Amino acid sequence: MPGDHRRIRGPEESQPPQLYATDEDEAPASRDPTRLRPVYARAGLLSQAKGSAYLEAGGTKVLCAVSGPRQAEGSERGIGPAGAGGEAPAALRGRLVCEFRRAPFSGRRRRAPPGGGEERELALALQEALEPAVRLGRYPRGQLEYGVEMYDLVVGCGLSLMPEPSPTWLLDPTRLEEERAAAGLTVALMPVLNQVAGLLGSGEGSQTESWAEAVRLGLEGCQRLYPVLQQCLVRAARRRGAAAPP
Amino acid sequence: MRSSLCFHTGLETGAVMVPPVRYCIPGERLCNLEEGSPGSGTYTRHGYIFSSLAGCLTKRSENGALPVVSVMRETESQLLPDVGAIVTCKVSSINSRFAKVHILYVGSTPLKNSFRGTIRKEDVRATEKDKVEIYKSFRPGDIVLAKVISLGDAQSNYLLTTAENELGVVVAHSESGVQMVPISWCEMQCPKTHTKEFRKVARVQPEFLQT
Repeated sequence: MPGDHRRIRGPEESQPPQLYATDEDEAPASRDPTRLRPVYARAGLLSQAKGSAYLEAGGTKVLCAVSGPRQAEGSERGIGPAGAGGEAPAALRGRLVCEFRRAPFSGRRRRAPPGGGEERELALALQEALEPAVRLGRYPRGQLEYGVEMYDLVVGCGLSLMPEPSPTWLLDPTRLEEERAAAGLTVALMPVLNQVAGLLGSGEGSQTESWAEAVRLGLEGCQRLYPVLQQCLVRAARRRGAAAPP
Repeated sequence: MRSSLCFHTGLETGAVMVPPVRYCIPGERLCNLEEGSPGSGTYTRHGYIFSSLAGCLTKRSENGALPVVSVMRETESQLLPDVGAIVTCKVSSINSRFAKVHILYVGSTPLKNSFRGTIRKEDVRATEKDKVEIYKSFRPGDIVLAKVISLGDAQSNYLLTTAENELGVVVAHSESGVQMVPISWCEMQCPKTHTKEFRKVARVQPEFLQT
């Protein structure tokens, strides 16, 4: 503005920042289809939440927090055994609510916080995968003093189908690989019970056998990830035990 | 004469605790049903005991019976008010039929989440139960020593009683905001205005009186 001496003037001409950005590799490098990226996992990071976990795999960073309980809507009176050990009937079970959010700076393009349908779909998939493992019947009153009781851990693994040179399923895809994929699959496994807790797939796959092969590959990946999560939880429990006053 | 009140209940233990063995995660198989019986934080499946929490494994061996295998998230003893436990609570609201309280302490250990409790009109006193007036026994804000008589139903309201000499109001503030001094089992007096107010007062145990 003419005569504006308070502001620092920028340059007359401006260029888009992409000009100066380094070109990323357009084609993802070929790799072993069954490789899993090294995972860094840590639990008990957020002091404000009842429980929390942080996970890093490659360039992906995930932070998760568990909070609750919230007041259940409506007061439902039911006949059910109270006290330790008893499981409440269906009307009195606790409810699991999952929320999935992507930060605006995650990914190549900025995403505004209400991410539309995709975030809701993934949150629902997450909830469906966790529900069989959580003992919701133990919490008719929603009192979470000792932590949420679970039957088993739920380990998840993702896969992508690369159409060329020949259709191959890649375990634990990076963002580039996912963008170029013809189909994607996510599988969740409860390792000790050996039960599949969740399965989410989309895209154009080749044949049915290929999908079955992909699920098998995914379950193998889950089994390989399980010891990492096991160690992470034990370390967190040990830290909690050491920190608590004797 | 000033009497100071402090309340203390002993921690009752009936079992011998073996020091913690190791840390475990949900889903970890702990032992056979023949080697132990499932305690809190565990579940049984196919004849084995599995852990349900991420915490430390403890085996409590009662004399004679199988050891009770349980998993505890923090290395502190269970803090749920049990039937017969003496609890310290704060009155949140009163009614002509009952008083609602927040349970703050179980014995001498503070609770992280406060539970809700109810003291019914007929559980305030042991004698002349029908002539009780809640308004003359408790007021909102009073600290009360009570005993748990029932864990309650799904509404998570513990049922409490003060029908004993040692149970009842221990700390109360008068209408002028000053802490009152008990003068009998049913009256407390404000030291500033000297007005008497009705409460169901807990009998102070002689060892806690300073004269």
